[in-house]
Amino acid sequence: MSEKSLFINILSCNPKPSAWPSGGWFFTNKGGIFAGMIQRLAILWVLLGGPVFAAEFTQADRDWWAFQPVRQAAMPTEGGGWAVNAIDHFIARKLTVHELSPAPAADRRTLIRRVCLDLTGLPPAPEQITSFLDDDSPDAYEKLIDRLLDSPRYGERQATLWLDLVRYADSDGYKSDHYRPEAWRYRDYVIRSFNTNKPYDRFVREQLAGDEIDPGNRDALIATMFLRHWIYEYNQRDVETQWRDILADVTNVTGDVLLGMGLQCARCHDHKFDPIPQRDYYRIQAFFAPLLPRDSMPVGTVPQRSKFFRKHKAWAAATGDIRRQLDAIEQPALLKNTTGEGFGKFIDKIKTMIRKRPEDRTAYQRQIAELSERQFGVEPAKLPERLMGASKAEWERLRSELKEFEAQKPRPLPQVKFVVSDAGPVAPATRIPKKGDVVEPGFLSILDPGPARITPPQAALQSTGRRTALAWWITDPDNPLMSRVMVNRLWQQHFGRGLAANTSDFGKLGEPPTHPELLDWLAARFVADGWSLKKMHRLIVTSATYRQASTNEQSERADPANTWFARAPIRRLGAEQVRDGLLAVSGELDLESGGEGVAADKSNRRSVYRKVMRNSPNEVMHTFDMPDHISHMPQRNVTTTATQSLLLLNSEWTRQRAAALAKRLAKRHPGNAGAKIVDAHELAFGQAPLPSQLNDALAFLDACGAANKPPGLAALTEYCHVLMNANAFLYVD
Amino acid sequence: MNVRAPVADELFSRRELLLRGGAGFGALALSGLLARDNALAKAARPSFVQPHFAPRAKRVIFLFMEGGPSHIDLFDPKPLLNKLAGQRMPQSFKRPITAMGETESPLLASPRTWKRHGQSGAWVSDWLPHTAGCVDDLAVIRSCWTNGINHSGGVCQMNTGQPLAGRPCLGSWVNYGLGTENENLPAFVVMTDTKSTPTNGPRNWSAGFMPAAYQGIRLNQGAEPFRHLNTPKGVTPETHRRKLELLRRLNERHRATRGHQSELEARIRSYELAYRMQAAAPEAVDLSRETEATRQLYGFGNKDTEPFGRCCLLARRMVERGVRFVQIYHGAGSKWDSHSKMEANHSRQCLQSDLPTAGLLKDLKSRGLLEETLVIWGGEFGRTPMSEKGDGRDHNPTGFTMWMAGGGVRGGQVIGATDELGLWATKDRLHVHDLHATVLHLLGIHNLDLIYHYKGRPENPTINEGEAYKEITMG
Repeated sequence: MSEKSLFINILSCNPKPSAWPSGGWFFTNKGGIFAGMIQRLAILWVLLGGPVFAAEFTQADRDWWAFQPVRQAAMPTEGGGWAVNAIDHFIARKLTVHELSPAPAADRRTLIRRVCLDLTGLPPAPEQITSFLDDDSPDAYEKLIDRLLDSPRYGERQATLWLDLVRYADSDGYKSDHYRPEAWRYRDYVIRSFNTNKPYDRFVREQLAGDEIDPGNRDALIATMFLRHWIYEYNQRDVETQWRDILADVTNVTGDVLLGMGLQCARCHDHKFDPIPQRDYYRIQAFFAPLLPRDSMPVGTVPQRSKFFRKHKAWAAATGDIRRQLDAIEQPALLKNTTGEGFGKFIDKIKTMIRKRPEDRTAYQRQIAELSERQFGVEPAKLPERLMGASKAEWERLRSELKEFEAQKPRPLPQVKFVVSDAGPVAPATRIPKKGDVVEPGFLSILDPGPARITPPQAALQSTGRRTALAWWITDPDNPLMSRVMVNRLWQQHFGRGLAANTSDFGKLGEPPTHPELLDWLAARFVADGWSLKKMHRLIVTSATYRQASTNEQSERADPANTWFARAPIRRLGAEQVRDGLLAVSGELDLESGGEGVAADKSNRRSVYRKVMRNSPNEVMHTFDMPDHISHMPQRNVTTTATQSLLLLNSEWTRQRAAALAKRLAKRHPGNAGAKIVDAHELAFGQAPLPSQLNDALAFLDACGAANKPPGLAALTEYCHVLMNANAFLYVD
Repeated sequence: MNVRAPVADELFSRRELLLRGGAGFGALALSGLLARDNALAKAARPSFVQPHFAPRAKRVIFLFMEGGPSHIDLFDPKPLLNKLAGQRMPQSFKRPITAMGETESPLLASPRTWKRHGQSGAWVSDWLPHTAGCVDDLAVIRSCWTNGINHSGGVCQMNTGQPLAGRPCLGSWVNYGLGTENENLPAFVVMTDTKSTPTNGPRNWSAGFMPAAYQGIRLNQGAEPFRHLNTPKGVTPETHRRKLELLRRLNERHRATRGHQSELEARIRSYELAYRMQAAAPEAVDLSRETEATRQLYGFGNKDTEPFGRCCLLARRMVERGVRFVQIYHGAGSKWDSHSKMEANHSRQCLQSDLPTAGLLKDLKSRGLLEETLVIWGGEFGRTPMSEKGDGRDHNPTGFTMWMAGGGVRGGQVIGATDELGLWATKDRLHVHDLHATVLHLLGIHNLDLIYHYKGRPENPTINEGEAYKEITMG
């Protein structure tokens, strides 16, 4: 053991004796007299009960912006006359510093298309545009925002962004890419949570520890599927490695999504850039160490679970001997003839864990045995034919004896599948690989160096309470990370770039915020508003900053990257927006909500309801930069490729949308080519055509109509197809 | 020569970056990158279209024998195996975790006839008579090892460096680092010998967390070489042209009212590029332009050899036209996987692949292309000396053989060794990361200096590990 790790072991009160100094430690001299002396004094300090401090961090580490408490600065005075709300004053201050003026406000047509796509993911229908244009009340825009936030489409849109973060999918992601028939319930839970405006802190706590916090609430249990979206290989015989990878995945995604800290660097070594020692990685992983994937999990309030637990315990005690004898007869017969991948392919260590009776397994043995048992099945129904002679007679006798206790058995509680619990009230040890030190749960030590205080829940839950402790720490209003991270993500959603550009990395490899005071002001406001996401969206999209036009010559010249937000960004539609948008324009979009996923190429439902099969993504969406949902994706790539152009120009799918739009137009405006063209522009672009565009369109229809038989609809289809390829459809500004 | 550029003064503007070639297949804008202009500047700049040092190879053809060919029956003879056949592996051999748990099954003899070939005298078995004829061009690496014990993890790792999904594959990294030499064709092309899908599907040639523009593009045989290349049925060329003209006018007008927007310009150019590709691709895949002698060389006219032969010939035509990275799956869908009936399985797989592989090497050589084209042969792992189901072998990730040829590789050498049974790599062990680093080295790229920022983290192709086996070159 190096002196450094020895020192840390003592500093962090490691209870493992081997981690403690052995005889003579005080007198050895490694690394120079002075350094050694200081170290020893520090060790003595701790041994004598002095307050513990983490020694590894420099002042620069401690001063890093993301670790500072959120401070709500006074609102700047700049921006008078232009500003609508606090956001604008903060923006105006930076504009003044950089000698920039904001862009003029966007026209109403541009604005409604922008905000509809941002909040609901769909372009506005011509009727929505008309009613907004016709509303001359001073709060017409605010009323529009309220309508959009109240629409079920809002939750569907916000869910797509969240599902990127949590790498949601409906399949395993390995060779066979098996379908996960229960995963969609999580997607619906997310949509529901956004639509009902569940406070964000509650939303996060449910996902980390819903089973401990609210075990009688089915939704809170479904929320824990957050901890099930890892890729999984159904025939991985190296079970322990797969389990380690799963725990690492869960740790990483928690850091990425909720803390905005890339933890994974610290899995193998101290983080090279951020103050995250390797030990911290395992302190956080230790919260998940007792995790157990559950495919039958009871739903019951603590009293219900307690009642069940008591009765079951009594029954188990009364039948213990019988069941032990039964197992001794049954298990060899069952394991001799297994289905699926079979029992025989595991190494001896794993076989031993599987052979152990469930009630005799340690938590770790339970985790590994149950993960292994997913690979094969047993056939208890065939026991009568597989048991012979004396043992069969004995088996039958024991069975009937057991039956006599049937009445004492508690009635099972309702169940949910594909969720998690702990493997028991005692957590398996978390060790740092290669070093072997046991690590107790704890938070990022730069923020909170002590061990986590963990309160075990009621015995009936058979859980450690570790994840609850983590959930409360992460969602603590004083935690400087979670609120900042989330408001920054919302900012990115509406402005194309976060106030801190790397939305999942607030460390030194990310970029510091361009507007730190605004970020803090928003984070504080978010908490003060009861973690209301809808209020935060409303605040942002009603700001004058958001309402700017996308053109501002001065800003384009002096600030091409738009760092200071003196204009609205021009953004390409995301994958869902392209697919849903084309279906909406063609009039085919099916707005049915919820339920099991559908194949995107065979259905016209919104993209959020498609089956997300990791190995066979939908072609349209993949081409438009849909992430693979294997790992966390905080900011989608936006590419412009010939592949996209070929798909939009030549694929059967886009042609069908064009044909449907042509039919829709023909029905709405029989015989009137001009009206069809105007309507087509309104539908696809949210704008009326210019006179020259109308002429171009008429000329195109004439020329194509002459060349195509039958004329009319065929030519109109070609015209609609062109609109669906146009930048005015593919981009929003 | 070291042409890795200094950072600050050479930072290209937004516009310049957009208009450079080599940003992936038909990619005209990567605003995912642009949004992080500053992050990009801080990193050692990604070397678009510029190697770090003088490359030996300019292009790669990776012949992926999918399912796991048996190194101990093809390139790595083990006399002890035949001596101990039928017995348990001696206790002195460390037991690996294997996919099917066959650690204690009896050892299976290799019934092959082995001979030394060429001037180098390297061993090749009678299953690969044609490859044996090219042995003086090959560097046979007998000491490969990997972590993935199953096909999914193994194939994933051989492509991306790790068994867990999510990272860009080697072809994508090369595409990212070097770009294409022919804008009208993809920089990274993937083929399969049959219609079967390889294990993991398109994930094997995906760009992972990098922009999709760097992914491999599937080249299909038949009327439409690349997906959606052909104008839809019923749309005459005249109508197609008219549509593109109308689209151009709409887009020009849209852009004109929006000041300087390079992404919108790029989108307009992407349609021009699509149009040019529609013209260029059919010529590139037209095998009727090849002579009968060439077709013979690749095994045309024989139903066993022609399917893979066509892929190999297409690969040559692709690299000739500046395609950077070609990957061909032979035995797509784990056809080399021989848990039982080794003899029948490998007889078939070798028959199909051996002659076209040798044909490709000879053809490249005679055209002077081999010097700058690196050819890689191998699967996701090898096979165990222990038997499975009596006449098959389990997966062996701990020691197996691959070979490289051309692209600056010194032919006629054998690198590394496995133990006496071929179970564990023992000498000059080359992990997949080392193999990838070696490939990149031959292309003039230092594996740890090719950086892509993902989630703010600097990522490289070999995950902070891997060392190129530089001795593989001509010296």
